[in-house]
Amino acid sequence: MRIALTLVFILAVAGAAGAGPLDAPGATKALNCAACHGPSGQSPSDAMPILAGLWPEYFKKAIQDYAAGRRPSPEMEPYAKQVLELGVDDVAAYFASQQRASTKVKVDAAAVERGRAAAQQCAVCHGSEGKGDRAKLIPDITGQPPGYLRTQMLLFKEDRRSPGDERLKALKALMKTIPDETFADLAAYFSSVR
Amino acid sequence: MTGITRREFLRASGVGMVVGGLAGGCAGAARGDMAPKTGRRVVVIGGGWGGATAAKYVRLADPSIEVILLEPNRTFVSCPFSNLVLSGVRTIDSLTFDYRGLRRHGVSVRHEAATAIEPETRRVRVGEGYLQYDRLIVSPGVEFQWEQVEGLAENQDKVLHAWKAGPQTVQLAAQLGSMPDGGVFVLTIPPAAYRCPPGPYERTCQVAWYLKNNKPKSKLIVLDANQNIISKAGLFRAAWRDYPNIDYRASNKVVKVDPSGREVATDFGDKVKYDVVNLIPPQRAGTIAVQADLVGADKRWCEVNHLTYESVKHRDIHVIGDSTIGLPVPKSGNIANAMGKICAVAVVHLLDGKQPPALPPGNTCYSWVNDREAIAVVNAYKIDGGKVVQIEQKLTPGQSVAVAQNAVGWATSIWNDILG
Ligand SMILES: Cc1cc2nc3c(=O)[nH]c(=O)nc-3n(C[C@H](O)[C@H](O)[C@H](O)COP(=O)(O)OP(=O)(O)OC[C@H]3O[C@@H](n4cnc5c(N)ncnc54)[C@H](O)[C@@H]3O)c2cc1C
Ligand code: HEC
Ligand code: HEC
Repeated sequence: MRIALTLVFILAVAGAAGAGPLDAPGATKALNCAACHGPSGQSPSDAMPILAGLWPEYFKKAIQDYAAGRRPSPEMEPYAKQVLELGVDDVAAYFASQQRASTKVKVDAAAVERGRAAAQQCAVCHGSEGKGDRAKLIPDITGQPPGYLRTQMLLFKEDRRSPGDERLKALKALMKTIPDETFADLAAYFSSVR
Repeated sequence: MTGITRREFLRASGVGMVVGGLAGGCAGAARGDMAPKTGRRVVVIGGGWGGATAAKYVRLADPSIEVILLEPNRTFVSCPFSNLVLSGVRTIDSLTFDYRGLRRHGVSVRHEAATAIEPETRRVRVGEGYLQYDRLIVSPGVEFQWEQVEGLAENQDKVLHAWKAGPQTVQLAAQLGSMPDGGVFVLTIPPAAYRCPPGPYERTCQVAWYLKNNKPKSKLIVLDANQNIISKAGLFRAAWRDYPNIDYRASNKVVKVDPSGREVATDFGDKVKYDVVNLIPPQRAGTIAVQADLVGADKRWCEVNHLTYESVKHRDIHVIGDSTIGLPVPKSGNIANAMGKICAVAVVHLLDGKQPPALPPGNTCYSWVNDREAIAVVNAYKIDGGKVVQIEQKLTPGQSVAVAQNAVGWATSIWNDILG
């Protein structure tokens, strides 16, 4: 009897919390994103970035850069414009409120070790563990899919991501000194940091 | 090729346990009310891209609503990426999934076909039995207009469409594989509107790529009923520069097929000989939608409200996916998935007596131009004056391995979104 009552109580509480995953403000405005970024922004693939847990300030900068064509992406430019139509603050708040789980994409242990050694040069900005600096809009790159991280490093190196952005000059200068093969190692390392 | 096996997919999507759900498969046995309704209930017809998504998302939005999904097939075979089975770049197994994920969300999946809809009594007939609903979501995909091509209806076993991924996809791959070097493969494209505008041109790339590498003396003749390539034309033309074996003929509508003479005929009376033919027939909404009088005056497609996907013809019945018309969107899996989610949210609001939010769909169609490169078209929409309106359409600047990697990312995510 007591067990039954306890169960009823638990169910009632869960119900009262309105725990439905679509109840959060912004959740329904983010429905289209799941086609590429996975449920709740928890991307299961190697190529698409995880959006869960992105800081709203960084998220908004990314959306604005895509919509303006500063960060060229055939996929994201139209979708960023849709986000601006729907209200970027709601969508940013929704993804920020999702707990980020690290990527499940596997990486090679030897690559992780090589990447760890090369990662020292990133620490001045991204911090010793790659967790970033919210105030400076430097993202947390840990746990992101390795394929995505590698692609972005290449885009920085070739000045194809946000070309001309003064804030990113030092970052791009650094990327130019790093051989392409090392990007895979750095990506393996940062994606494996928990 | 970054193939994911079915097992990997299921693992990645966290599927493992089978809980709840009616065990279907009792087709034919049930009479009368097959499952008396105790609370609010949504019935979904069709467990493809639109219907499976809608069933899952009604449960996500409100787990107190009972959801029954009717789908005769026991497995879900993805049409997207199925052109890669023809070229041998992918296996059909890598595109085949089961419905355990939906059952985990509490969807009652019944492997039976709906045989009729009765809007007045809000019943879906399943053979001798019926299911009562509060709201019905219909996503039966497309049906072929066999009668539009002479000789087709009676030769369905020989003249393959492979336009519903599954056994025909594998059979067509086998026909292509056993065609002699020097043979002619004829691919015919129906007039728009049909399922997946870029699909036939992606298939052209895959067959041409296969022939180039395996049967270099062979030729691919494409007979297109349309006046030009109807999607991503510039990108496909560029891709076809690698395939001198393609003979593309626009404004060539095939109206007749003769399997004994191995010949098709166009509306101008031109005859074209083939060793293997892939005839994609003209299409209309799934039969159940036509029988239930959900189609418009054209007797082909269903018109719906742009915010709720409720039929303009029958109350409490919503239509999504390829069966719909009147929105400025392609008949794509991505659109069917987006409609499924938006419709689910709308249905839950309506059952609660609330105003549904105005949510627009989005679309991306990736097409593989060889074994490792792809192109894409992306469309974003907004709601303006109660209607879906396009904000922007964007194409990839060219074909690349990077786009193909994004295609794999898209497929991984969206399969998970539908079934995981
Ligand atoms: C070769 C090819 C390649 C494609 N590539 C892409 C791509 O890359 N990207 C993309 O976005 N789209 C692509 N598409 C299009 C995509 O497959 C369709 O747009 C999508 O499947 C439409 O979803 P739907 O729910 O309307 O129909 P479907 O997915 O076909 O689902 C309909 C379901 O309803 C069931 N059904 C029918 N009648 C009944 C009934 N009476 N009772 C119960 N169940 C019933 C059927 O068994 C079926 O499972 C491609 C299509 C093809 C053929
Ligand atoms: C068709 C696939 C697709 C869809 C749908 C999609 N995205 Fe993206 N998204 C991408 C790709 C690819 C990238 C990486 C692009 C690049 O190279 O900058 C990306 C990147 C992003 C980023 C940058 C992440 C970072 O760490 O810098 C944000 C933010 C984002 N997307 C938000 C969204 C939102 C919000 C939606 C839904 C409205 C959405 N996306 C829908 C494919 C997609
Ligand atoms: C000078 C400061 C600086 C240094 C050094 C730096 N970064 Fe960054 N990094 C940034 C900033 C700022 C951004 C955000 C860019 C933007 O706003 O679009 C960023 C973004 C990134 C991203 C994209 C993340 C995403 O989600 O899209 C990756 C990947 C990355 N950095 C990797 C590295 C690696 C690896 C190193 C070391 C080799 C490094 N960075 C060194 C400042 C730096």
